[in-house]
Amino acid sequence: MLLRMAWRNLWRNPRRTIVVLSAISIGIAGCIVAMAINLGMVAGMVDTAIRGGLAHLQIHSAGWDENPELEVRLMDGGAEIAKALDATPEIQYWAPRLRAEGLAASPRASVGVSITGVDPIREAGVSIAADSISEGQWLGERGRVVLGHKLARRLNAEVGSKIVLSVQDLAGELTGQAFRVSGLIRSGSRELDDGVVFMRLPEAQALVRMGESITEIAIVTSDRTLVNQIQARLRAALGSGPEIRTWEQLEPLLVYMIASMDSMAWVLYAAVFIAMAFGIANVLLMAVFERTREIGMMRAVGMSRARVVSLVVIESTFVTMLGLLLGVGLALAAIWLIGDGIDISSFAGSIDEYGIETVLRPSMRSRDLATPIVIGAITAVISSLWPALRAGRAKPADALRHV
Amino acid sequence: MIIEAIDITKVYDTRGVKTQALDGVSLGLEEGEFTALAGPSGSGKTTLLNLLGALDTPTSGKIQLEGVELSGLSAAALSALRLRKLGFVFQAYNLIPVLSARENVEFVMELQGVSLADRRKRASEVLERVELDGLGDKRPLEMSGGQQQRVAVARAIASRPSIVLADEPTANLDSGTAERLLELMAQLNREDGVTFLFSTHDPLVMGAARRLVRLRDGRIIQDETTTTSQASA
Repeated sequence: MLLRMAWRNLWRNPRRTIVVLSAISIGIAGCIVAMAINLGMVAGMVDTAIRGGLAHLQIHSAGWDENPELEVRLMDGGAEIAKALDATPEIQYWAPRLRAEGLAASPRASVGVSITGVDPIREAGVSIAADSISEGQWLGERGRVVLGHKLARRLNAEVGSKIVLSVQDLAGELTGQAFRVSGLIRSGSRELDDGVVFMRLPEAQALVRMGESITEIAIVTSDRTLVNQIQARLRAALGSGPEIRTWEQLEPLLVYMIASMDSMAWVLYAAVFIAMAFGIANVLLMAVFERTREIGMMRAVGMSRARVVSLVVIESTFVTMLGLLLGVGLALAAIWLIGDGIDISSFAGSIDEYGIETVLRPSMRSRDLATPIVIGAITAVISSLWPALRAGRAKPADALRHV
Repeated sequence: MIIEAIDITKVYDTRGVKTQALDGVSLGLEEGEFTALAGPSGSGKTTLLNLLGALDTPTSGKIQLEGVELSGLSAAALSALRLRKLGFVFQAYNLIPVLSARENVEFVMELQGVSLADRRKRASEVLERVELDGLGDKRPLEMSGGQQQRVAVARAIASRPSIVLADEPTANLDSGTAERLLELMAQLNREDGVTFLFSTHDPLVMGAARRLVRLRDGRIIQDETTTTSQASA
């Protein structure tokens, strides 16, 4: 009967209940949608970084983290490591790389770049570089390089232009070679578009006189959530020799941003739920005040304090849960409506620095729905305690006299 | 004796202002009585009824319900006692507006833990007894004042209490409706043995009572028993 009474009590003053429901549902929907957009933005940044060359895991020779120089290299093209990688089914793609900091020069300008020697076919699996060719073509012929469209603009180069790459070789001697631009990358990744010059791995090895050595292996797994597991297995297989690091270890800033999003979510939830708690408490106090005589009667005929308190708490829980359901429904509808993404390309200039994609696609984890529901239920109980205890404390004789 | 008040006083203290509502009142009621507490406003009728109904506690004196001393009981124990032993009818009906007449009648029984089937059966019986069969699904606001007060009487007697305490039950009713309600309660008293104690200043109720206790300024000034009353005649 308590449940039935609580439910019907909600609709004694439908307008008031609808106002509370609207406040709760709009607040919750706002929270969920804002979080989904933020999460989508961060997920986009992570994706851009991973697809832009970071990959899920990278393997370097021991000491690379402290001293990323050519002498810290993987001998024999990482042949031993390759065997372990091929034996790990969750690894979808891997690609050897040789990275060296150098200078790209055209007749008009000189720009510091990351010269990256890659296996053109394998690299196409681990990064979007090959798929992001906007002009010309991906690496194929000898003596060709691919660079980002922004870098090309700074060098005043285009497909077919000749540029000279200068770099210190393994022995520390300055060396250089002219290459022709075979393609331009337009990926949305700042690093790919403005910082890297790709060339075929054997040519890079020849340029820096490193024989068959490479500096890193980039790995993409079938499931990003498995990276720690795969890292542990590779460590077990390869021993303490090479450094195997996940994208989170390679780019702690991204991890910090994800964590910041979670912190921001809690701040957002706290603001919405504190406001909600006061709203519910206020409405319930009013409802309890209006029903003082009725509560007095219920206490007079023998209803226990606990049951009176429960009745008010159940009413609060009903209105909150209903508000939460409506809010979640609203949020899902809104997320569905903007599922194709929000085009923020008009801000492209200012957000490009941060690796944010120009189309924000909302993203949601199950806990982003579960968290507000759980906190909402707790808020309902807490916010109803004051009016509920007040109702429970009513002395029957006094309450019955209430006008 | 069902209920007994022994030398009770009640002093209300409102922000330091003390008001003596009852002053050394002693009263006992036997099973089957049909008694009215009469007196003008402020004489202490409702206060005495509240004390006898374990809704309030006396400043001094003792109240015993079926031999149980009330003053030593906790609020929870008093609540349980009211639930099991007492029935209440209030001046303003005080039905729960979100429940139907039948649900209002079942309310106390549900608090007592009576099974659904037994509740339904008993609610039908008492609604028929107060001549409201057919109106069980109506909400209080869909009923007249007289019908609502009948539902209140049905609620009070449904759980078979030791005594029904009725605070000015006819005060909000027109004389014809009041008379029919009183007739019904007298009938319940006569035929079903329900013990009633009213507070009233309605001459009709006073005339119907078999025992009339008059209060003035918190004291009993008259306690007389009549062999026949108008309602039972």
